[in-house]
Amino acid sequence: MRTLDYIAPESAADAIALLAEHGESARPLAGGTDLIVDLKHSPGNIHILVDVSGLEEFRGIEETDEGLRIGSMATYAEIMENPICLEKTPEVVAASHTVGAVQTRNLGTIGGNLVTCVPSADSAPALMVLDAEVTVAGTNGNRRMPIEEFFVGPRKTILQPHELLVDIWIPKKNLGKPSSFYKFGLRKGQALALVNVAAALELKSGKIVEPRIALGAVAPTPIRILKAETFLSGKKPTKKNIQEAARIAVTESKPIDDFRASASYRCQLIQTLTQRVLTRSLEIATAS
Amino acid sequence: MTYTSSIGIRVNGEVVEREVEDRLTLADFLRNELRLTGTHLGCEQGSCGACTVLVDGSAIRSCLTFASQLNGAEVTTVEGLASEEDLHPLQSAFLRNDALQCGFCTPGFLLTAAEILSETNDLDEGTIREAISGNICRCTGYQGIIDAIVEVARSGSER
Repeated sequence: MRTLDYIAPESAADAIALLAEHGESARPLAGGTDLIVDLKHSPGNIHILVDVSGLEEFRGIEETDEGLRIGSMATYAEIMENPICLEKTPEVVAASHTVGAVQTRNLGTIGGNLVTCVPSADSAPALMVLDAEVTVAGTNGNRRMPIEEFFVGPRKTILQPHELLVDIWIPKKNLGKPSSFYKFGLRKGQALALVNVAAALELKSGKIVEPRIALGAVAPTPIRILKAETFLSGKKPTKKNIQEAARIAVTESKPIDDFRASASYRCQLIQTLTQRVLTRSLEIATAS
Repeated sequence: MTYTSSIGIRVNGEVVEREVEDRLTLADFLRNELRLTGTHLGCEQGSCGACTVLVDGSAIRSCLTFASQLNGAEVTTVEGLASEEDLHPLQSAFLRNDALQCGFCTPGFLLTAAEILSETNDLDEGTIREAISGNICRCTGYQGIIDAIVEVARSGSER
């Protein structure tokens, strides 16, 4: 590996200043489970690593009046064991369980997963269906945006080189919202998703309210299926309506052919798994 | 720019203070600088699990961690499992259950198993299969490994 300068700044402000100073030659280091692989194979222009994994501003998981805050440097292992996440965002926990293997989850962070921004990022759909927002910090201060706006393309986020993902917020009204996540990979363990999908919805007076559907690995970024959400909103939870929503999800997706699976196989997965997570969310909504 | 860092860590209970190159992975540090060659390097990209060690009790891949990141940490490698007199209960169980053939993957499996057993003895086979999914064995297969871990969990001799 090429020579690198490892720096562990004392604060988020110091980290941002370092990144602003060094531009493209510096990269923030979180869990390292993706970045260090990249550094071995295609280090590009990176010469400086700014370790943000220990910074207080990016750590912790807590519930406030506003909702649930997950620090970007929370590891998957921390999320999986956190009592608030287990109770109020069980599908974010479920998605965390499917990431890599135990060694990955002990180091890998939810923020790192989002910033790496691969289309198959497992945490993304589970967060998107809960209307998660993200806070970004840079030299011009902090800004907050819906998580969908954060993803720009494969391995490309909205972040400028000097900016860092601070935390992820799930609004209070969506904590405990009936939701379901499903990941389909070629193996049960340590496999990238061929398709991952999440749904969330409420039932009011026998009608579907505020439905959300998000899919990963089916387009350049994780995507919400807004047309299917609009279709389901106010509808009765019939099998036919669920099937139609899933059909819309297929037409709204743009899966690729690659060595893992063909696009047509992925389309069948989208149909089946979207139905499955919607049905499961309805079961949870009916039971609660 | 400085391309080295001073670190103070504990490795298998011993204090180690060194100046290390920032590009040095923990795996290379353990193997080349400390001569703890029980930590094996297979894929070097975080897939095979052969380089698994414990950092502050958590199983991690030492090929995907820089030594510089670990200032203040406690590292356990396979060399730290056995005492002077006795093998670690997991090592004995691996022997009894023919859980190794060539042995290349064994240190990684032992440390992954050590982490899960440090959390609970209430482990069924499914949980163990899931827990060791980040460790790959290419010769003897997994059943003996699972049997060995189940045996230690049942005996409650770890914790």
